[in-house]
Amino acid sequence: MSKVILSVKKLRKVYDDKVAVDDISFEVKKGEIFGILGPNGAGKTTTLEMIESLRPIDGGEIIIDGLNVADKPDEVKKIIGVQPQTPAFQDKQKISEIVEMFAAAYGERVNPKKFLDEVQLGEKANSFAEKLSGGQRQRLSIAVALVHSPKVFFLDEPTTGLDPQARRNLWDLIGNVRDKGVTVIMTTHYMEEAEVLCDRVAIMDNGKIVALDTPKNLVKQLLGRGFKKKQIVEQADLEDVFIDLTGKALRE
Amino acid sequence: MHKQIMTVLVFTKLQTRRFFRDRLAQFFAILFPLIFLFVFGGLNSGSNNLSFKVAIFNDSNSVFSKQFVKQIEANSVFKVNKTLTSQSAAQDKMDKNQLDGMIILPKNFGEVAPGQTTPSGQIQVLYDHTSSNTGQTLTTILDSYVKQINSKLASAPQPFSVAGKELNSKSLTAFDYTFAGLLGFTIVGLGIFGPVNVFPELKKQGILRRLHTTPLRVWQYFMATMFSQAATGSISIGIQFIVAITIFHLKVDGNYLAIIAFTVLSIFMILGIGLAIGGWAKNERQAAPLSNIIVFPMLFLSGTFFPRFLMPHWLQTISDYLPLTPVIDGLRLLITEGKSLAQVGPEIGLILIWFVVIYAIAFRVFKWE
Repeated sequence: MSKVILSVKKLRKVYDDKVAVDDISFEVKKGEIFGILGPNGAGKTTTLEMIESLRPIDGGEIIIDGLNVADKPDEVKKIIGVQPQTPAFQDKQKISEIVEMFAAAYGERVNPKKFLDEVQLGEKANSFAEKLSGGQRQRLSIAVALVHSPKVFFLDEPTTGLDPQARRNLWDLIGNVRDKGVTVIMTTHYMEEAEVLCDRVAIMDNGKIVALDTPKNLVKQLLGRGFKKKQIVEQADLEDVFIDLTGKALRE
Repeated sequence: MHKQIMTVLVFTKLQTRRFFRDRLAQFFAILFPLIFLFVFGGLNSGSNNLSFKVAIFNDSNSVFSKQFVKQIEANSVFKVNKTLTSQSAAQDKMDKNQLDGMIILPKNFGEVAPGQTTPSGQIQVLYDHTSSNTGQTLTTILDSYVKQINSKLASAPQPFSVAGKELNSKSLTAFDYTFAGLLGFTIVGLGIFGPVNVFPELKKQGILRRLHTTPLRVWQYFMATMFSQAATGSISIGIQFIVAITIFHLKVDGNYLAIIAFTVLSIFMILGIGLAIGGWAKNERQAAPLSNIIVFPMLFLSGTFFPRFLMPHWLQTISDYLPLTPVIDGLRLLITEGKSLAQVGPEIGLILIWFVVIYAIAFRVFKWE
């Protein structure tokens, strides 16, 4: 059993009279990719933002790597990397400058080229941020979230709006980050993405966690309850056809 | 601490570099104030010489009266409008404030009256009641002019006389007042409209929010903005100095180092207003009206476009304490009156008080999103 790096206990957030996050508790182990799934408005982003110390915590407790988020938000910010839902960057800045700027925000000086190479943007180092495609912007966003070698990396719906090639490419990148020993916590709408990437997933609905296990176990439990799909599953689906016809290479 | 300052310096460098790629920002920081400089400089050039626009109507046929008219026309104090042929036409011009007065030499003016040895007569000066100051000055000048003639004719001893002499070669021209005001306008344009336009946009795109996920502190972000504004502001103001000196013959009597130090302090203070408004506002709809409410009265009351001594006394008293007033007054004292930093102590003191007040508010109301 590996070490717990994030522990959330009875976390609560109330907006006016609506309970957005309703006393949820879970733990994330060091080095795993943990997925938070759920429909829009389930409370995924709010949960993430409380853990990232961007939103006040109305109740409960969050401990990251031994630090209480409510007490030491600035210490927490130094050990986490955050990829927001829609990454945006100031225009008229070269992407190497953007990497330099984020490193400076953490009080560090880095070689921007090295970080851009890791997300295959090395050749674009002198391009302006506004010239990037959606997938490139997501990759730049990952690069700047990792400039300070964080212990925990948060991604909020990283592949929304990307084409299948860009999405698969991002999966590889996220896998690489995990392979370096960084714990990854992400939200997503795509079940297939969660199945490929996540070691464990929590499914949220109406501010509560309704299930938490490995994707395989969750499927097993469902089948155990006597669930049967109406149609026989094909050995391939339309996305497999699409990727077979158009290839896996990134289009930009 | 060393690392935190490094953060500020990298942000300063990148923000300043960005300015040189942003044509719109350059237009508002440099070209826009320069346009004002040309407009106001053009309006004020040469206007410090006293002169009167007059029309002369000579109803007399005497030799003396004709010579008198020639002398008036030759005198640079008078700009004689020769196109006006009738008094009613001149009256019309006077009503429109395009003419300061009429000089009328009545019939028999300059003739030698029976029993006299010298010519005599009375000049009539007509002026509009709305410009009675100008009219009275015109009358006084003509009066002294006539007295000179009298003394030559009568050759009586003159026990009293008045000699005028220009004492102060540093006397202020209208342009000197305008220039300090325009620098104030530039500092307001940069310091207030800059952040007020940029911050809501950065918030809308979530760029500030993203920075908030890092350990970056508000003071670091503010300080980097202050430094890069001081850099771009110095460039803009430097260009205005060059234009004012070469084209509009501005005489700079002050110490340039003192002027630079005072300008940078002023930029820092005024920028605080922009940081407070832009930092507080959630979007453009909040930022734009608030900045207009604050900026435009301040621009007018602090003597940006016309000298404050033209205002009623009670208004001057209020405007004494506005943040922009010590900036403009101090710049004028330093640039054209050759004062030292110590002599503008009251202005610096008032700027520092505003600095503390404004930044206390700016830090309190700042929002990352």
